[in-house]
Amino acid sequence: MMLQMQDLAGTTPPRSDPWPISRRIGLGLLALLAAFALLGPVLVTADPARQDLSASLAPIGSDFLLGADHYGRSMLARLAYGARLSFGMALLTMLSAAAPGLLLGVLAAWRGGVTERALVALSDIVLALPGLLLVLLLLAFAPGHFLPLYLGLSLSLWVEFFRVARTTTARLLVEPRIEASRLLGFGTFYILRHQVLPEIAPLLLTLASFAMGTAILAISTLSAISVGLQPPTPELGSMIVELLPYYDEAPLTVLMPGILIFLLVLGLQLTARGGTVR
Amino acid sequence: MTSALRIEDLTIRTADRILVSGFSATVGRGEPLTLLGESGSGKSLVAQAIMGTLPPGLLASGRILFDGADLLCLDEVARRSLWGRRIGLLPQEPWTALDPTMRAGGQLAEVHRYVHGRHDADGLAAAGLGEVGLADAGGHYPFQMSGGMCQRLALAIAHAADTPLLLADEPSKGLDGVLRADVVARLQREIAAGRLLLTITHDVALARVLGGTACVMLDGQAVEAGPTVRLLNAPAHSYTRALIDADPSAWPPRTPREPGPSVIEAMGLAKAFGRRRLFTDLDVQVRAGEIVAVVGPSGSGKTTLGNILVGTERPDRGRVRRVPGAAPLGFQKLYQDPPAAFVPHQTMGRALDHLARRHGVDRERVEELLARLKLAPGLRKQRPGELSGGELQRFALARVLLLDPVFLFADEATSRLDPVNQMEVAGLLRESSEQDGLAILFVTHDTVMAERIADRSITLQQ
Repeated sequence: MMLQMQDLAGTTPPRSDPWPISRRIGLGLLALLAAFALLGPVLVTADPARQDLSASLAPIGSDFLLGADHYGRSMLARLAYGARLSFGMALLTMLSAAAPGLLLGVLAAWRGGVTERALVALSDIVLALPGLLLVLLLLAFAPGHFLPLYLGLSLSLWVEFFRVARTTTARLLVEPRIEASRLLGFGTFYILRHQVLPEIAPLLLTLASFAMGTAILAISTLSAISVGLQPPTPELGSMIVELLPYYDEAPLTVLMPGILIFLLVLGLQLTARGGTVR
Repeated sequence: MTSALRIEDLTIRTADRILVSGFSATVGRGEPLTLLGESGSGKSLVAQAIMGTLPPGLLASGRILFDGADLLCLDEVARRSLWGRRIGLLPQEPWTALDPTMRAGGQLAEVHRYVHGRHDADGLAAAGLGEVGLADAGGHYPFQMSGGMCQRLALAIAHAADTPLLLADEPSKGLDGVLRADVVARLQREIAAGRLLLTITHDVALARVLGGTACVMLDGQAVEAGPTVRLLNAPAHSYTRALIDADPSAWPPRTPREPGPSVIEAMGLAKAFGRRRLFTDLDVQVRAGEIVAVVGPSGSGKTTLGNILVGTERPDRGRVRRVPGAAPLGFQKLYQDPPAAFVPHQTMGRALDHLARRHGVDRERVEELLARLKLAPGLRKQRPGELSGGELQRFALARVLLLDPVFLFADEATSRLDPVNQMEVAGLLRESSEQDGLAILFVTHDTVMAERIADRSITLQQ
């Protein structure tokens, strides 16, 4: 306990690097996947829903670049559409979870009192409810539809943003510099814009990556157990389940959607790793 | 067996900058060494090199001879085995170095039990606590003790470790008169017991009472060294002279002057935190051009009193009356820890521009003020982390003065600054009170400084 020495003026303390190598790799991977998801559906002319039973389970490199599934549908086209769907839905879900999460978090810390307690209680209730269960509850109203899936995921994902925004803001508000700004006549908006937001922003990339990873996994999991999006929509989770009976004949084709999910989540997880390394 | 610690030609550098160059010194029995200098002068780095706790990225060359070995050549395991057995450290601001989850008695007993394997560790710990006047505090956690009590506990721990070499890092920092004298007496006892003592401080008075040898450091170099008494009585280097002159006891006393009309009055103030009562029925009045010091031990409510006057805290009872017609923003505050009062990612220029725009102050006035506070225009591009405490505190004063305040609460505003900067900031405060008629409430734990800077003092009791 007696081994600390402070007062290191004159040397810059080791600062955390906001762009560690893992984050760069993650972002690179995501860029490639995003290009595939965005450009794939444009460049690949094949219709992901067009069946050609004569080409059922065609191998890789034949008429189809990545082979075909049991109905003879182009795997390349289906993967590209699936990636676009997963990516797009995850992005939309994350955005609609982040906006209220951040706003409510800052509001709770700022207002304190009853507002804060009510919001914290609400977030605790959502947290106590397993995320998938919440989605399932909403899906019961309209099975197989996009809207309840999206709503359910956003409703469970905003809590993370809320908690981080609230604790970060609360920690800042007790610091002398906020009091100093107030004494100097700056208003609430200025303090939020110039003091609170810059502190939360670096955490956003991490939070957003985690939220998107969770969303992608949840969407494919729910589709795999046939309560999310229904076939013939090219969704990665339901593709795995559809292809599973043909594992013996075309193992690689079965693995492809799984590998794509894995790469998506890996890219997001690597991006989430901030610069906490010394 | 160990008769001395010898440092020969110690150089500490980063990849592109030399932080300490060619430092040599000796600590002998009954011949303590005191390193004097401002923060950033490299004195803490010397101590870290001795301990072996230099931050990663810093390279040390030269020799540090102790126990017949060169400390710089030892590997990490060997150096670590010296800690607590051969080399002890009295940390700066002990309340951050104590284990917050452990009671005082336990923290002391573990040194006896685990470091030295002594039997009856608890008995020895109880005796050790009694010796520093903490006999009743053995069951307290650090957060239940005052700063002075933590300091005494750290001293008891350093004493229990009984290492031949003791490094004391700013042992008198932030302590008021009585506590300070107590720390000095204990350090003198360690010297008398034959331990090697190396003290790092910018407190000239402390160096004087410890005696031995002193070494003045500036920008990583020893500018002057020699027997403490001779060095302080006949300084050769201009920086040593500045350091001695900057000690509050050497400041010229304030000339008595006629204060203006009352700016702020508080009547019957009372404030308590939980069951701890800070003050009751307290009357305060500060008049224009007057500096009123508030002194008292830590935890006596000095800062709270100031906060009530500027309106950031509310009293439990009593009321504060501001002079009629004063702008609401005319009541300002200077903070104890300058970097904490600035936005870390904002350059000083931006911060000032925002402030000037907010209040419609023209640029010329800002430049004029910066020049008056001796802040070079180049500093505008810097961020708070790149400026010294003294420069930051002057910026803090600048942004406050831009608003034409009538009352300023200076909350230990000079206590984290080294002596030369401390004197400068205190001088600027004095100047503002004389030229602009600013009323200042100057909170400090240093009674000598209070006497020098203020027209009158309010003493708060525990």
